Amino acid sequence: MAELLQNLIDGLGRGSIYALLALGVAVIFGVMHLLNFAHGELITVSGYVAFWALGAGWSWYLVVPLIVLVSVTTSLVIERLAFSRVRGADDFTLLLTSFGVHFVVSAIFLLYVSASVKTFSRPGWVTDTFAVGSLRIEVFDTVVIGVTVLALIGTSVLLQRTMFGLALRAAAADFDTARLMGVRSDSVIRGAFALSGALAGIAGIFWLMRAGATQPTAGVNPMLKGVLAALIGGLGSLRGAVLGGLVLGMAEVLLRSRLPDSVASLTEGVVFLLIALLFIFRPQGLVAVAHAERV
Amino acid sequence: MSTNLRRDVAFPLVGAVLLFALFLGAGALYQGLLGGHERLVTFALIDAVIVLGMQIYIGNTGILSFGHIGFGAIAGYAFALLAISPVEKLKRVSDAPFGLADVQLDPWTSIAVAVVVVVVVAAVVGIGLARSGAESGAVSATVITLALLFVTHELARNWPDLTGGDRAGLSFRIGGALDTRVPIYLALFGTIIVARLFAQSRVGRLAVAAREDNLAARAMGVNPLIQQMLGLLLSVAVVGVGASLRVYEKGSILPRDFFFNLTLVTLVMLIVGGRRSVTGALLGVGVITAGRELARRLGQDGFEIFGIGLDDAPLDWIFRENLKTVFLGSAMLAFMIWRPDGLLDDWELDRWLRSRFGRRRSEQPATPPMVEVDGTDALVVRGIDVAFGGFQALRDVSIDAGRHEVVGIIGPNGAGKTTLLNVITGMVPADSGTVVLGGVDLTGRPSFEIARHGLVRTFQNLRLFSALTVRENIEVSALVAQTSRERQPPDVDALVAAAGLWEVRDRRARELDYGTSRRLELARAAAMSPSFLLLDEPTSGMSDAESTSMIEQVRLMAGVIGAGVVVIDHDLNFITGICDRIYCLDCGHVIAEGSPTEIQADPVVQAAYLGSSAQG
Repeated sequence: MAELLQNLIDGLGRGSIYALLALGVAVIFGVMHLLNFAHGELITVSGYVAFWALGAGWSWYLVVPLIVLVSVTTSLVIERLAFSRVRGADDFTLLLTSFGVHFVVSAIFLLYVSASVKTFSRPGWVTDTFAVGSLRIEVFDTVVIGVTVLALIGTSVLLQRTMFGLALRAAAADFDTARLMGVRSDSVIRGAFALSGALAGIAGIFWLMRAGATQPTAGVNPMLKGVLAALIGGLGSLRGAVLGGLVLGMAEVLLRSRLPDSVASLTEGVVFLLIALLFIFRPQGLVAVAHAERV
Repeated sequence: MSTNLRRDVAFPLVGAVLLFALFLGAGALYQGLLGGHERLVTFALIDAVIVLGMQIYIGNTGILSFGHIGFGAIAGYAFALLAISPVEKLKRVSDAPFGLADVQLDPWTSIAVAVVVVVVVAAVVGIGLARSGAESGAVSATVITLALLFVTHELARNWPDLTGGDRAGLSFRIGGALDTRVPIYLALFGTIIVARLFAQSRVGRLAVAAREDNLAARAMGVNPLIQQMLGLLLSVAVVGVGASLRVYEKGSILPRDFFFNLTLVTLVMLIVGGRRSVTGALLGVGVITAGRELARRLGQDGFEIFGIGLDDAPLDWIFRENLKTVFLGSAMLAFMIWRPDGLLDDWELDRWLRSRFGRRRSEQPATPPMVEVDGTDALVVRGIDVAFGGFQALRDVSIDAGRHEVVGIIGPNGAGKTTLLNVITGMVPADSGTVVLGGVDLTGRPSFEIARHGLVRTFQNLRLFSALTVRENIEVSALVAQTSRERQPPDVDALVAAAGLWEVRDRRARELDYGTSRRLELARAAAMSPSFLLLDEPTSGMSDAESTSMIEQVRLMAGVIGAGVVVIDHDLNFITGICDRIYCLDCGHVIAEGSPTEIQADPVVQAAYLGSSAQG
């Protein structure tokens, strides 16, 4: 029982980061029908900026806002340079465009920095724990969960209470109609990329604090987690994305602690397999979004 | 009729020979001009096999797969485990399961077995893809293929007893690699032929129709899942051969050999040349192989081309190590942004040859004779109810139509006319009620089955196979009719001519003007030789003159195949001009039925159309 509770807390911490990433993926899918395989590159870029800033003697307190700023800027720049040019293209083109962005960004770091892993110092409290009864709780998980809750509340207020939020939700429900109703597609799409970048920035802070390192391919993992979590939840559903992130985090922690040792190293593979099975039996994800095609 | 041996077999074979010769020639030229590079060209030949394998699936179905290199990994490991000598295996994988440690087959048998293994895996994955709602551009299907790539990679890394693990891998003893290119030549030649013949085959052409418009294809009696599955199996078999040859030539296999890098390289090759074309895929292999090699060289110390090199200060910011990765990513991005269809789009060498040198039927065929209608199989729709959430779209709707008549359905916007047509053709499920054709209950059947039974529709918002030519559009239906309809439609050319499309028969559907597109959609439906043509607003957006000529067109098309017609329209001139009987729908139920004159005089109909004041 205690072990299960321990797993749930660990899973919640891990899942929170995935939820932030997935929400960013879902927001962009909503306005552009683009499954963003380049989402993780925001963390690659943030990682190198953190590496340089920390190396130059900045404290983490300064690096935290810097990462969010860099992530938002990068997201907007990528939109401007690549995604704005394929708006309205077919899904095939959109998928490969984001795949291409993913490779170009990581290749640029490969070209101008190096393939080797760059490490930086992590804040001291990342590994601290405290005890509640028999449970050993990481300070880090507590902070992650707390900040994620705040970020989700903030996003929710933004989406529910502001004109931008209304426009974005309308665009996500039916982009063409929203445009006819006077929603400015340019600003909504840019706003979505900024929001997505901010969420990825927050997730990136935690990701980098835990990893304490970056490399050209650092974006692959967060990208996969974000994309898969968004798909688990049901593409296009923002609530589903958050749910998907939490489910994915829990599943990973539970599998890792429950699988026999001989196959524990296969956790990632097993997770992929489970996700493939989910798509096969419930292709619309956990939270179904109606996408009736007009005939 | 549709099996045109010259077009579908002879020209593709000639084209395949030429393509093969051109590709080999380019390789030989490259080797000759630059000296050496034997390995580079050998791997380009093998990559061509793999890329063509991917083209068979991705190009014809429009479904993006990241998983083909995962299939390649499975085949590659299967081949290595079977072909490597037990002595060698003892060193790396002495505990290999399934008694594999003691097996040794000759390389060609190993390739054959590897292909069988990977095709079985593909069948399982294919069922999953089908269940996930795979269609052109489907995101969840693409993610399943991505999951496959990662699962095979994780397995390869973490199952050292089988694969030798991440570091050691599996390898042949020194000198065990392929020592002649002949098998590679044979594989490539065979692959080019297979890829071209597949695209021209019935399966291939129906797959392409579904790629262009999944819903319209199903409405024409195509079940795209069948073509997608067959395409996947063939495609994976070819990739299996290519992957085995790759392992054989390289002499070893590691998990990273068949992962992201190769996926990126092969996908870039496919899309740069043009994924819809075999010629394009081969061109892409050539262009990208050369480009990547150039980028690699430019990133090396001391290399110069035209006097520019790494050592020149102004360009050393770009001529660096790893330039080739940037090259690949940028090529993908640039093509997606500026030329998503690749260099050649769907241009094929053999089709061009045929248009230049092939014989062409020049005289316009005569209009086919009218068919005598046997009035047996009537369409009987009874008690249809449909609710969308709380909105009752149809309430207890019943209509009848005979093969000898034209039945109209009119009603104000939102009356439920299109919903009724969607229910009849199986695109929207009814909550209750039945659809019976000639005594066969079609209620709740999938739309492609309903079409094969003889109810074929057109769409309010035109759905043509836009990349196909006018003639090819009509041929799709004729192909389906071949196996599913007892009474065959008239000759395709005769139908083309009768629909007034003879002059534009080789134009692509997307280039047609609106009225012509409407005529094509009607002719495409007629080519199924259905019992009934169900037409959803065939005159919407047409001028008076055009809609009057549409009356003749509908009568002619229905006449030459002996079909009944059910037609929805707003244009009262058209409806009263063509219909024998009319149903009037309002708020989801039938408020009147009768001859055109009766309907026009009916006060209830007038009220529904003109508002209650007309009642007084």
